[in-house]
Amino acid sequence: MRKRFTAVTGALALAVSVGFASTSALASGEIGEHVQNLKSNLGTYEQDVGRFTDRLDTMASAYAENGPDAVETDQLIELWEEVKLHAAVEVTYVPVYASIWQGIYGFKEAVDNDSGIERVRAEKAALEAALWQGLGAVKMASKHQASGGSNKGQEAGSAGGDPVDRIITNLEKVTVEHAEGETEEATELVHDTYMEIFEGIEGALIEQDAELVESLEKDFNVTLPQQLEKGAPVSEVTAQVDAMKEKLSRAQELLQKAEESQGDVF
Amino acid sequence: MCSDVTRRDVVRALGALGIMGALPLPGLAAGRGGAPFSVESLPALEGELTLYLGRGEGGLYEDVINAIRDRNPGLSLQVRRGPTVALANTIVAEAEAGVRQADLFWAVDSGSLGLVSDAGLAQPVPEALGAGLREGFRYDNWVPVSGRIRTLPFNSDRLSLEQIPEDIMALPETDLSVGWAPAYGSFQSFITAMRLLEGEKATREWLLGMKARARQDAGEFGVVMGVSRGEVDLGLANHYYTLRLLSGQPDAPVALAMTRDDAGSLLNASGAMALSERPVAMDFIRYLLTTEVQSYLAREAYEIPMVSGVELPEGLPSEDRIQPPELELTRLADMRPTLDLMRDAGVL
Repeated sequence: MRKRFTAVTGALALAVSVGFASTSALASGEIGEHVQNLKSNLGTYEQDVGRFTDRLDTMASAYAENGPDAVETDQLIELWEEVKLHAAVEVTYVPVYASIWQGIYGFKEAVDNDSGIERVRAEKAALEAALWQGLGAVKMASKHQASGGSNKGQEAGSAGGDPVDRIITNLEKVTVEHAEGETEEATELVHDTYMEIFEGIEGALIEQDAELVESLEKDFNVTLPQQLEKGAPVSEVTAQVDAMKEKLSRAQELLQKAEESQGDVF
Repeated sequence: MCSDVTRRDVVRALGALGIMGALPLPGLAAGRGGAPFSVESLPALEGELTLYLGRGEGGLYEDVINAIRDRNPGLSLQVRRGPTVALANTIVAEAEAGVRQADLFWAVDSGSLGLVSDAGLAQPVPEALGAGLREGFRYDNWVPVSGRIRTLPFNSDRLSLEQIPEDIMALPETDLSVGWAPAYGSFQSFITAMRLLEGEKATREWLLGMKARARQDAGEFGVVMGVSRGEVDLGLANHYYTLRLLSGQPDAPVALAMTRDDAGSLLNASGAMALSERPVAMDFIRYLLTTEVQSYLAREAYEIPMVSGVELPEGLPSEDRIQPPELELTRLADMRPTLDLMRDAGVL
């Protein structure tokens, strides 16, 4: 699922997200002045990806030779907290940002659980792909930023766009908040997404596929909040979110179909 | 208390005597004070207008806003969306800071409108506009737009309508199994209404009595689905879930029952209020009350039109059978004692 997000699709979100970039605190802590001038820092961001891939090579080799005890996987999280690329991706494109967090935990859990070198290599490849995608998104954002792009014209308070897409983006944010240990924020975001967006579309969906609505209602109100509150592993939460995203994709198709038969107001 | 015999006391007494059918309760049909009007009778909207829209986003309210916008090219409409309570607090905070920005507030729950109203920020509703609304739902400074009513969806393979009490307070005394979703906002508004109408003691006893026979669901649509599958005899849920299900699955064995004149038939409403004196704000509200918009929300969202004379959504009981209690809806904002009560009773 995480490979779905490419730097090209990332461009769709740039106009909005770059306009909101600031040096205030985000979920991960303070972000630096560098995000105000992404273009001048592209070299640093590229080096950051290089540092990651080097570290992953070292860790994967150590695991292959000496097993999980030879690898301090927490260092991967520390490295991600340290690099400037972190904030640049965070303010640029949330889905890729989420994929990177998921990738870090995917690799970490594969090693810590001694899942075998094949699984570790697969998780390593997924994380590296997410990091490169993140860099791609930042590069595109830097072009937009340099040309003076902004969110002018956007209606205040509106995330805009298709409600299902917005739900999926919020679920991506939930996985990030969870990975960062922000349980309360993650739970609140699930609740708000259900109340503010899903409830707006569930009516039309009930007529199309009642069982799908019932299943998503349970996902939003029981399954996912319980996983967050219990501190379930990131891979478990990610799998749950991926399952919800699949259901939501089905919902999106059905809603488009329902819209065709909808009457006019006047 | 003893000397204050209310309509509800009379209902109870007659119900106990088995002569409910003779009771001249008004229902939704009564007291029509004005005729519905068409959008064709309204002037074009012009100028700038800032609308704060609480909830309903992603839904049909957006379609209504877009239709009004398309019909009025001279209108420059800015929309700010967000959680209803948050927007209500924003409106109050902006007013206190002297930077009032919203001309209009359209909120999915009446409690948030009450918060703004209590701050003295809403403009009075012209008498002629209010007269077209259903009796019992006319307010000084806000206008209900569309409603949802509490119902008892029941499994029609297992029960007949006559087996279901018409008094919500009698439900714990039956042997019926019940599905409910106490974490759901509309359920909590229903309990708030019960607390305001029946008192805390009776509400606590009701909750405790129901707890023994109730199955908890993730949401109110899950309640209706559970009823449809026969997992419980009946449920407590807003009306539109059942109507939506029946629209998609006409053979589903689920039907609607309603209590009379108590919290079990609470009709809550979304509503709008003008915050600025500019005529375009109140004129926008007039558009929301047109036959076209009211019918659209009834047809597409199964919401209850709040303008007298506009047809109810298909599948609801007749207007004279819908007998919601008399209750100032903005009082439903007083949720904290309800949540305390529900926690005390162990249902939340």
